[in-house]
Amino acid sequence: MTFGFGLGLRTQHYNDFLDVPQPVDWLEVISDNYMVDGGKPLAILDRIRADYPMAMHGVSLSIGSINGLDKDYLKRLKTLEQRVEPMWVSDHLCWTGAHGRKLHDLMPLPFTGEALTVVARNVCQAQEALQRPLVLENVSSYLEFATSEMTEWEFLTGICQATGCKLLLDINNIYVSAFNHGFSPADFINGVPVDSVIQFHLAGHQDNGSHLIDTHDHPVCDGVWGLYEQALKHFGDVPTMVERDDNIPPLTELLDELDTARTIADNVVHPQVAI
Amino acid sequence: MNLQELQTDFQRIILDAECAGANWISESAQGLSSQDRLAIYHNAYRVRLIDVLMDAFEHTAAYLGDDWFHQLASAYVQSHNSTHNDIGLYGQEFPRFLAEQFADDKEVAELAFLDWKLRRAFDGADSSVMTHDHLAQIANMEPQSCSLKPVPTLNLCTHHFNTLDIWHAINKDEHPPVVELLPQPVDVLIWRKGHSPHFRSLSTIESAAITFVCSGHTLNAIGAKLEKNFPDADVAKEFGRMLHRWIDDHLLTFNL
Repeated sequence: MTFGFGLGLRTQHYNDFLDVPQPVDWLEVISDNYMVDGGKPLAILDRIRADYPMAMHGVSLSIGSINGLDKDYLKRLKTLEQRVEPMWVSDHLCWTGAHGRKLHDLMPLPFTGEALTVVARNVCQAQEALQRPLVLENVSSYLEFATSEMTEWEFLTGICQATGCKLLLDINNIYVSAFNHGFSPADFINGVPVDSVIQFHLAGHQDNGSHLIDTHDHPVCDGVWGLYEQALKHFGDVPTMVERDDNIPPLTELLDELDTARTIADNVVHPQVAI
Repeated sequence: MNLQELQTDFQRIILDAECAGANWISESAQGLSSQDRLAIYHNAYRVRLIDVLMDAFEHTAAYLGDDWFHQLASAYVQSHNSTHNDIGLYGQEFPRFLAEQFADDKEVAELAFLDWKLRRAFDGADSSVMTHDHLAQIANMEPQSCSLKPVPTLNLCTHHFNTLDIWHAINKDEHPPVVELLPQPVDVLIWRKGHSPHFRSLSTIESAAITFVCSGHTLNAIGAKLEKNFPDADVAKEFGRMLHRWIDDHLLTFNL
């Protein structure tokens, strides 16, 4: 089964999706934007959900927090999950604060056995609450820890093996982290278990010369398109979406990017054989 | 260093005003020093929260100007840690913070509070809105045991300055009027109708009536209190007129 190609739903495009059918197979919504009490966000969500399958993607679960998961957050996430009935529920492999404080950022984890145990414990708690496998996304990072004992892809593999969770591979984040830390993005892709990956993100970043910043405010660059092609060769036909979080362009521009993804996927997964 | 120590120290560095170094970062041959790498997170934290304040307090920012607002938002971020998962709630204490900063210009805090309450009304809880048919049902009930219930997004605040005029001017991209102390304070009602946050000023009798509604008084008790507090008013007529307007404005909820 394939879910095809999707986009992240953004408020700037609400009317585009409400007015006429758009050529996307599904939409991804930022869970946190709809974990509210009521009003327009939930009303629009319900209307658009009636016409499109949706995936839920969160930013505040803090799956790597040493303090464990926030039960109230988990409860609200479950409430939204029951409302949306999404294809899957994802969040990021990171921590977002400690000791009751919130940093509102995707903070990196050291790749240690201890961190793996903490994340696995939290993933199991989330999966029990949601009654479905959790999907974790690799984050872009700008520093590495002296205490790390394994690579990021070994860490991801370990979490999947320990919990049965699935992975959302952000191809741009692999590209950004590989540049910032000097590892081979191909090693990352080849090191992740094929049957764990259920979604790709494609996005843009800011090139600062000495380092890349994961801004999600640019079009997908050639290097990321190339890495996407490699990922398709390794993982096969995986649901793919373009994610733009800032400098949101007209919907047509993002649909054009999605068409590029479709073309690349067609060439890799369903190549035309000359007779 | 275990994970708890690392997260505690990393967070301390992010929250401190100056971005200190850390000995737990792996020195990389790639481009940046460990200090520069930490600074990316240190800076991103501040930029993100200041952006949230700029967005939530749009009219206040326009009134103060971007540079001044940015300075105040920076000071707020440094003195107020976030404790909400919902980043949209981060500005909860900002109006109070501005009241302290502008002790002689209290219209700034009034404007910020209005911005904040309008934003909160936007995604506040839904409710079943009372209709005129519902009111007819209530009219047949015992008035001594019947009370009204406000919608959950309803809020009241008191303005001492011409803050509403300032808000309206900014909202129309016009130059705001000179701040003026009002002859007497005015209560302002804030709520959501449909998908849109609304506000309007209240007469003293309407403000009193809504306050009694919010306190859960019965219709009879509200009438009696209004008669007592406004002896010169035709309370029966005024209360009937207010009830109809409240229903038209979607100010009341109905659950039998």
